[in-house]
Amino acid sequence: MNTQVQRALEILKSGDARAFDRALESLQAAVYGFGMKVCGNREDAEDTAQETLLRLARQLKDFPDARALAVWLYKVAKSQCLMSRRRSKFAPAQMLSLEALMPAQTEPAGATLKSWEITPEEVALRQEFRGKLEQAILSLPKPYRLVLILRDLEQLETREVAEVMGISEDTTKMRLHRARVHVRNALADYVQRAAPRSPGRSVAPSVARPVPRRVDRSADRRSPAPATASTGRRRHAGRGESATAPSGTI
Amino acid sequence: MTDPRCKRIFALLSDYLDGELPSSNCRELERHLQGCKPCIAYLESLKTTIQACRKYQVRQIPRPSPRVRAALLKAIHK
Repeated sequence: MNTQVQRALEILKSGDARAFDRALESLQAAVYGFGMKVCGNREDAEDTAQETLLRLARQLKDFPDARALAVWLYKVAKSQCLMSRRRSKFAPAQMLSLEALMPAQTEPAGATLKSWEITPEEVALRQEFRGKLEQAILSLPKPYRLVLILRDLEQLETREVAEVMGISEDTTKMRLHRARVHVRNALADYVQRAAPRSPGRSVAPSVARPVPRRVDRSADRRSPAPATASTGRRRHAGRGESATAPSGTI
Repeated sequence: MTDPRCKRIFALLSDYLDGELPSSNCRELERHLQGCKPCIAYLESLKTTIQACRKYQVRQIPRPSPRVRAALLKAIHK
């Protein structure tokens, strides 16, 4: 779970009036930020924050712990975003096919590898890159956009994203992968044009490492090579989505 | 990426980066990566994309409305 949100909810549940304003500020930042990322405009983000936090005030005491409350809070915020009045100008209605998202055979591997040596810090600071990233995220169909935002931007766990979305973990992972690939492909042209060339940096040593996460996942973290997991077909959400068909359209 | 092995690996990359890939698939993926430059390059670019997403923050957050503040303040004193 997003630790900032969880901590703020703990403060509110504890009734600590001295820390109230700090907690409210954190929640406003989280919920308004979520609304901006999903809806892409200030008006809908403000509505999302206002309605979500008013509902929180009514139901603050109904949840046994802050984590359950945080999941509920994201569910409410998500519903508010889905009811948003203004449609994103980028969002298409269609679903994403992994087959269609695969890179072309002609993509030059060496050039691609070198261009993406740009560091996250470098890209995060660039206004132009930021704009491209926003555009790429907003161009995702909402079911994919929500999963990507919850998992990678809000940094919820897979099971928490699944809970917020009301879908299975397998479907969550499938949507997440397609969403990431879509965003990566949308950024590729810009990155290859704009990335500085840093001689001597090697990509290969970092390849085998998972991306470090900001939140503490120590309780249920699985290593890149867990010992006992099975790839067998698991329970899936409805809506006709098959999580084991990499090339299917969902 | 028309090689069927690349296609299969391509579908596993996010789970691998998240540390959520079962060990058997993990070994298969790492073996494949040993000799496949396009897959290594794609994995790296996906990793950079994820990291950029994680660093993305919305700017200029407005203050919560007085109505929200009053409602929550009342709720914590219940």
